[in-house]
Amino acid sequence: MSELGRLALLLAFGCSVFAVGSIAWGLRTGFSGPLRSGRRAVWAVCGLALLAVILLERALLARDMSYRYVAEHTSKDLPLHYAFTSLWAGQEGSLLLWLLILSAYGAAFLFAYRKRLDPFYDAVAMVVASVMVFFTGLLSFVCSPFRILATPPPDGMGLNPLLQDPGMMIHPPILYTGYVGFIIPFGFAIAVLLTNRSGTRWIEEVRRWTLFCWGFLGVGILLGARWAYIELGWGGYWGWDPVENASLMPWLVGTGFLHSVMIEQRRGMLKTWNIVLIVLTFQLSIFGTFLTRSGVLTSVHSFAESNIGPWFLGFILLSATVATALILYRKALLESENRMEAIVSREGSFLFNNVLFVALTFATFLGTVFPVVSEAVTGEKISVSAPFFNRVNVPIALALLLLTGAGPVLSWKRATASVLQRNFVLPVFMGALATIVALAFHVTGVYPLVCIFGAAFVTTTIVMEFARGIQARRSVERAALPGQVAHLVTKNKRRYGGYIVHAGMVILFVGVLGSSVFQKEAHGPLRTGQSLPIGPYTLTLRGVTERQKENAVHTTAIVDVKRGDRFVATEHPAKALYTKSQQPMTEVALHVTPAEDLYMILGGLNEDGSASIQAYINPLVSFVWLGGLVMVFGTVIAISDKMRLRREEKAAA
Amino acid sequence: MKPFIGLVTLILLGSAIPSFALDKDPVHQVTDQIICPCSCGEVLTGCICETGVSMKGTVENGVKAGKSKKAIVDGLVAQYGEVIRGAPKPEGFNLIVWIAPFLATLAGFAIAFMVLRRMVQRRKAAAAVVSPSAPGTIPFPTARALEAEAEGLRERAEAELRELKQGS
Repeated sequence: MSELGRLALLLAFGCSVFAVGSIAWGLRTGFSGPLRSGRRAVWAVCGLALLAVILLERALLARDMSYRYVAEHTSKDLPLHYAFTSLWAGQEGSLLLWLLILSAYGAAFLFAYRKRLDPFYDAVAMVVASVMVFFTGLLSFVCSPFRILATPPPDGMGLNPLLQDPGMMIHPPILYTGYVGFIIPFGFAIAVLLTNRSGTRWIEEVRRWTLFCWGFLGVGILLGARWAYIELGWGGYWGWDPVENASLMPWLVGTGFLHSVMIEQRRGMLKTWNIVLIVLTFQLSIFGTFLTRSGVLTSVHSFAESNIGPWFLGFILLSATVATALILYRKALLESENRMEAIVSREGSFLFNNVLFVALTFATFLGTVFPVVSEAVTGEKISVSAPFFNRVNVPIALALLLLTGAGPVLSWKRATASVLQRNFVLPVFMGALATIVALAFHVTGVYPLVCIFGAAFVTTTIVMEFARGIQARRSVERAALPGQVAHLVTKNKRRYGGYIVHAGMVILFVGVLGSSVFQKEAHGPLRTGQSLPIGPYTLTLRGVTERQKENAVHTTAIVDVKRGDRFVATEHPAKALYTKSQQPMTEVALHVTPAEDLYMILGGLNEDGSASIQAYINPLVSFVWLGGLVMVFGTVIAISDKMRLRREEKAAA
Repeated sequence: MKPFIGLVTLILLGSAIPSFALDKDPVHQVTDQIICPCSCGEVLTGCICETGVSMKGTVENGVKAGKSKKAIVDGLVAQYGEVIRGAPKPEGFNLIVWIAPFLATLAGFAIAFMVLRRMVQRRKAAAAVVSPSAPGTIPFPTARALEAEAEGLRERAEAELRELKQGS
């Protein structure tokens, strides 16, 4: 079977090369035959990648230890569902998943535009196929998942315990769906430059593809944060780890693009900038994979390290060079059609918001790679971690929060003094009021107060926008308020979907503020019957148990939780010792309320028989997850908007 | 927009001052700045590995003994090296990582502002030379209108071809 797997990947490589060559020939000559053949080759790559995945999954589920990949990432005592998900536990399997998603995007793209005869779409397919050449080549010649061991071991090395978590069953595929999806916007951008296409229809199409993968990347990031919160047991969910940063960077630039693309659609401006943002988003997606897979930087999320780093670096440099050369070559195509009428306008605010998104990305990038650069220059090892990013990134993020409120209430082209007064007085007043209330509750410090001001400011602008929309429709709309809101959103999904995303962002900021600034901690060794007070809670150890569960020995503390005098729950923080790897893992116990999480960890058992219990009160963490859900909801609404390009074009003309 | 840019700039500059809410536990003030030297790479405050727990004990003992935060951190750095600082010391080559993000942000704002201003000025100059209301001026169709027309035609052609295919 391994030969069949290798053959499938080799054929996929051949089909990818054929697709690129055939489509390129068709585009050059104008013949439809080569274009059709090229499209079919892209479909074939998708089928072959699926076949390769099925073959590897078969080996993983059967624990066929003759496969090196299976022996390195599974063991006979590994539960079946984790044997299935160990496809993305190692480098070769992850790359195969990358290829499968990439080729699925290629096939989905061809299916979506199957009735379009425009060769422009073939050019996009050619770009996708070019990226397929890279991945099929890597999997065929550099790191095949189908390598066979001369002497199969009796049992495998087992799966990394960190990956034996239900979250890990969906987090990587969702994150990859986001990462890999940026190939389509990248394909559009390169195709525009290759075919010298000036129209605006592609912009609406690319916006929807970008929203789709941006949404998935966002969900993937949130799931990763949730995984870190539950599985790593340090009381937080975001540690500015290199791999976390790698996923955040394309999301940030993608967010910038989703804003500036509106200017191109409305006013025909910022064309070069938009192409640059698309290219950068894709490059950062590849860079993320490079960081995760190369082992250049130490990370709690790096589960596979190898020597494929130079290949990725070469690919990033090559694709960046081609994109830059094309942008310069097609400079005339990207000339703005209109001129800015006033700096104080929505266009102006979007441009400044783009500056902040790119600045935040740059700060994250610099902080992430700086340890490597610094060591190369000075020879001294340094760390750039959460303390740095909290000092540098937080203020930029707060500035972005303020602009989130300002942008939507500024009018296009020019915001007059009366518009500014009408739209800003109430939000500023509400922001100031919230700040005063926070001060009255003894909240101090510049960042928390600016965050509170910003949250109230943005919330007010969003509410005002909804209120205005409802007011405008009052003459034709007789339904109750919820119905009016629903109709309003349905009438302009893109606009109000965007506002809902902003609302989600505000909720997320409030959650981050609460959980990072107002966190409480208590720890101590507890004997049975002893208590540990933390905030309004009292934790009492009732005993410790030990039992074998699947492939690990679980040592569990039984802890009674009281709030004041009222019994709340019995929680079970535990430590799991995986028998195969002898690696201890923390099993966090969480008592969740809307206002706060009580987070408990069993540090271990001491020689005197006491249990080390560490507890945190993390206020408003549920707001982080809720904010994420609201953002997803808003994205789904925005993405379902019908094509409004024609109407806008008529208005512009 | 100017007051807004001013406020944003103020926040960025204000970030140079460490500012956190509420009075923090002195132990946390130290452990928040230190990375566990073992392979876990966690910030010491949340680290639960053996090395991290032992280091937290050292910090707690130092605080109890009345040592200054700087003295505790310097002691740990002397023992484990600069790599345990969560943020590099802002000196020498490391200054780059502290300054560059803010310089880049401010430069980005300046460039965006200049680009916007130049665009506005060009528009005003163009409007002064050719008044749209001048008698005898023929409105020139914008590229966007032409593109819309071309795309309309392309869609029509595709629809007709589909009909033809279905007919045959």
